[in-house]
Amino acid sequence: MTTQAWKIARALRLAILSAGALVFLAPYAWMLSTAMKPREEIFSSSLALIPERWAAVENFSKAFTRVPMLQLLMNGVIVCTVILVVQVLVALPCAYALAKLRFPGARALIAAIMLGLLVPIHATALPIYVALSGAGVLNTYFALAAPFLISVFAIFLFLQFFRAMPDDLINAARLDGMSELGIVLRVIVPNAWPAITAFSIFSVVAHWNDLFWPQIVVTETAMAPPPLGLIFFRAAEAGDDYGALMAATVVVTVPLLAAFLLAQRRFIEGITLSGLKG
Amino acid sequence: MTRIKTMLAGVALAASLASGALAETTLNVHYPMPGFFKDVMDKISKRFMEENPDIKINFVSPSPTYEEGLQLILRQAGTAEMPDVTFVGLNRLRVVAEREISVDLKPFVAKDGKMAEQGFSDNILKLAQFGGQQAGLAFATSNPIMYYNADLFRRVGANPDVPPKTWDEVIAIASKIKDLGDGIQSIDFRWQGDDWMFSALLFGAGGTMLTPDEKKVAFDGPEGLAAIRLLDRMVKEGGMPVLTKSNGEQAFAAGKIGFAFQTTGGLRNVINNVGEKFDLRTAPIPLLSPEKGHLPTGGNAAVMLTKDPAKQEAAWKFIKFAAGPYGASVVVPGTGYVPNNELAAKSSEYLGEFYQKNPLFKAGLEQMPKMVPWYAFPGSNGVKVTQTIVDNLSRVVEQKVAPEEALADTAREVQRLLPRK
Amino acid sequence: MDSIALPAGAQAETSDPAAAARRSEAFAGWRLAGPAVAFLVLLILLPTIAVIALSLTDFELGYDGIRFVGLDNYLELLEDRTFLIALGNTLTYTLVVTPLSVFLGLGAALLIEAEVRGRALFRTIYFLPVVSLLVAMATVWQYLLHPTIGPVNALLRLIGIAGPNWLGGSDTVLLSLALIGVWQAVGFNMVLFLAGLTAIPRELYAAAEVDRAAAAWDRFWLVTWPMLGPTTLFVVTISVINSVKVFETVSTLTQGGPNRASEVLLWTIYQEGFVYLRVGYASAMTVVFLATLMALMVLQYRALDRRVHYT
Repeated sequence: MTTQAWKIARALRLAILSAGALVFLAPYAWMLSTAMKPREEIFSSSLALIPERWAAVENFSKAFTRVPMLQLLMNGVIVCTVILVVQVLVALPCAYALAKLRFPGARALIAAIMLGLLVPIHATALPIYVALSGAGVLNTYFALAAPFLISVFAIFLFLQFFRAMPDDLINAARLDGMSELGIVLRVIVPNAWPAITAFSIFSVVAHWNDLFWPQIVVTETAMAPPPLGLIFFRAAEAGDDYGALMAATVVVTVPLLAAFLLAQRRFIEGITLSGLKG
Repeated sequence: MTRIKTMLAGVALAASLASGALAETTLNVHYPMPGFFKDVMDKISKRFMEENPDIKINFVSPSPTYEEGLQLILRQAGTAEMPDVTFVGLNRLRVVAEREISVDLKPFVAKDGKMAEQGFSDNILKLAQFGGQQAGLAFATSNPIMYYNADLFRRVGANPDVPPKTWDEVIAIASKIKDLGDGIQSIDFRWQGDDWMFSALLFGAGGTMLTPDEKKVAFDGPEGLAAIRLLDRMVKEGGMPVLTKSNGEQAFAAGKIGFAFQTTGGLRNVINNVGEKFDLRTAPIPLLSPEKGHLPTGGNAAVMLTKDPAKQEAAWKFIKFAAGPYGASVVVPGTGYVPNNELAAKSSEYLGEFYQKNPLFKAGLEQMPKMVPWYAFPGSNGVKVTQTIVDNLSRVVEQKVAPEEALADTAREVQRLLPRK
Repeated sequence: MDSIALPAGAQAETSDPAAAARRSEAFAGWRLAGPAVAFLVLLILLPTIAVIALSLTDFELGYDGIRFVGLDNYLELLEDRTFLIALGNTLTYTLVVTPLSVFLGLGAALLIEAEVRGRALFRTIYFLPVVSLLVAMATVWQYLLHPTIGPVNALLRLIGIAGPNWLGGSDTVLLSLALIGVWQAVGFNMVLFLAGLTAIPRELYAAAEVDRAAAAWDRFWLVTWPMLGPTTLFVVTISVINSVKVFETVSTLTQGGPNRASEVLLWTIYQEGFVYLRVGYASAMTVVFLATLMALMVLQYRALDRRVHYT
């Protein structure tokens, strides 16, 4: 291929990517702009993104004072960490066993995991709520994390990933006299970083943003995760306080975005370390 | 075994907490829509605790909407998690009353003896009564009013100082506004969400939802027909667009809509969102029958949940305080609701002066004599009935069926959903 | 234990070593899967069974009484127009969102992977919607898609098109929700595909280059696409499941309206169970929902799994 053709291909690629990026960014432009605007400027016939009067301070101070935002963010971090750690610890060995070991019931287990993928928390919320309420543990971090301690999604993701892993590696480890658990820890995990990182991103994102379950098990603001704080800016019947709502959304989203950027580097590091590439 | 241990630990913890302040009663209070009520609640509870140092108000995490608030209460009914006081939408009050989750306030009212002197007229008490129960005390009440954009009025040669008094006048002005172009639209009538604004048309024509014995649909009579035909005319002649609830609000705030018909409870928000963009006005909503017409009451009631007699005394005190003149004087300016307490409305100590200075708030106040309870359907299909009505209204607004057909369908479907007794 | 057994199984040929190896492998398998199985039973299986049990009763939230009603709830379901509409709408939504979000996700992943500079930036931008709180972003879309003051229709007007009444009209509402769904899901699928792409050994590409003229297109079909098999299967499965579970956008933006045009299954179930409070009936809906989904998945998996190539 000539360099000329390369350049054209690259220009085309960049054009497509940039156009797509614009579409993806558009809502955020409005979100940021709204977070800077006073209420009377938010809905108007002009499409100006730059406010005439800046109200960022007003909106962001509302975001931090109307609700104990720092406490909420802290709660979010704790709950997401607990969920993620347990999910990975439980899912990794299980996925490995399903991918690389033959044992009776494995097929049935895979079927059960597929079934589990289909069951939304909305469906089983009531029985789980009743059980937690009966145990007297509502309004705790445990109640927030409990239904998500197992992630069938994680098992499924790791399973697909491990299946693609060469058997030679594992056989070699076995010949070295490593136990199966040892294989998981010393062979699988180092090679599975991309999958683990990818899953971590999904898990944290899902639970950081979950509104449905916290609303059911938490009634004390001291235990609430960030999205519950956002409802303080919504007033269904009479229209939301959009400026403050968007400011609060920015505050809730930024830590997650930062986490993603960090994970992304890890993601690449993990790939180079595992030697899967280049 | 472990459960017993957990319980014991819980009891011990509770005891240790309580011992810190022996004489104190703590009331757990739950409310919906914090975006709307948080400041109001904080202010009321602060004042209440100053006046009653032996009672502590503890707000549990609020619910985003009335519906979600109600779900929370129903889930927690009878458990230790249940709050002592909550605020329930007036149309859903019947649900908690029929399930005997709320405490009947009749004995408290009787014991008090002088409710009228404190501004709780019989009419106001009635807003929260079902089947002989006093399910709560109306806390924030509203009625539907007409918002209009005076700038657009002037552009079509209508006089904004003389707001239209009849629906015919509204439609005549609207049909001119819709021809202005530039994305300007005529009417935003809040038919979405629930049956409240349909009730406004129906009650305004003098109709009722069901027959007095609550066994049969009554909204398919001449009043209901007039109501739904009016909705049809708003679209056909007045050029009313099909908008979602939020889109309607947003377009009105942007100055792109002539009329908005919705609750006066949203007034403060509308004022904030409009700012100086245009000349915002309000007026009473026209009635199809000025003589026998009424208007539905929106809003919520303070409801007692605690069955503990010691707490009930404190809860009653708080409920009465919140629904009383001081509560109203906080709620009204902060939201746009009308005072649910006659003392508050009239006395200059509370709101008399406020209304002088804020004429936009007067439309709702003027309509207070017309207010009747927002009808709550009997049986367990209450909300479903509401949804059925809304679905059929949307068919009319989208011009998919003739209003007569939609009304007949609604009547048939609703009749099926009523308790068969 | 298995550390001894396994090599032994590999070497020795006496006293049925194959059976011993199988046994020890089975034992190791169960030990590793054990915690997951326990949680699966406790947090998914038991609650699901509870839901099935509830579906045979007339349980209503807030009422004490609970009565066994057999299959009454299921019979009622057959005549429930709302449920049937929800079923149809959910299907339509899934049929739009799944293919679009999978192909766009794959496209984005391939383009980003090929790009050297700005890779991290694009990845972040496309991933933003996944990171954001959907309930809040739905409010943003509500404004962007506003028929008269919204930027989308303003742009369309610039090029002379009268924009549709996106979320307001019953003919366009489902499509609008689907577009928001695609916007949300592309980044998710993209990351999965990126993970899948990095797992493809570079030597394969080198081999392909030796083999044939290495046009990008050929390389894709020769190496990338077959090697992405497991990933694709996974992404499709997850996409279908996530689309069928659409809930937040509907509850924030349209509440199933206008006139049930955006009524979807989870919303209907939520309405029945938590708003109309008929938990028994809602449970029956849930069971039917799960059964349908399960049947679909089994079919899809059977059909695709065979064609997928594992190394």
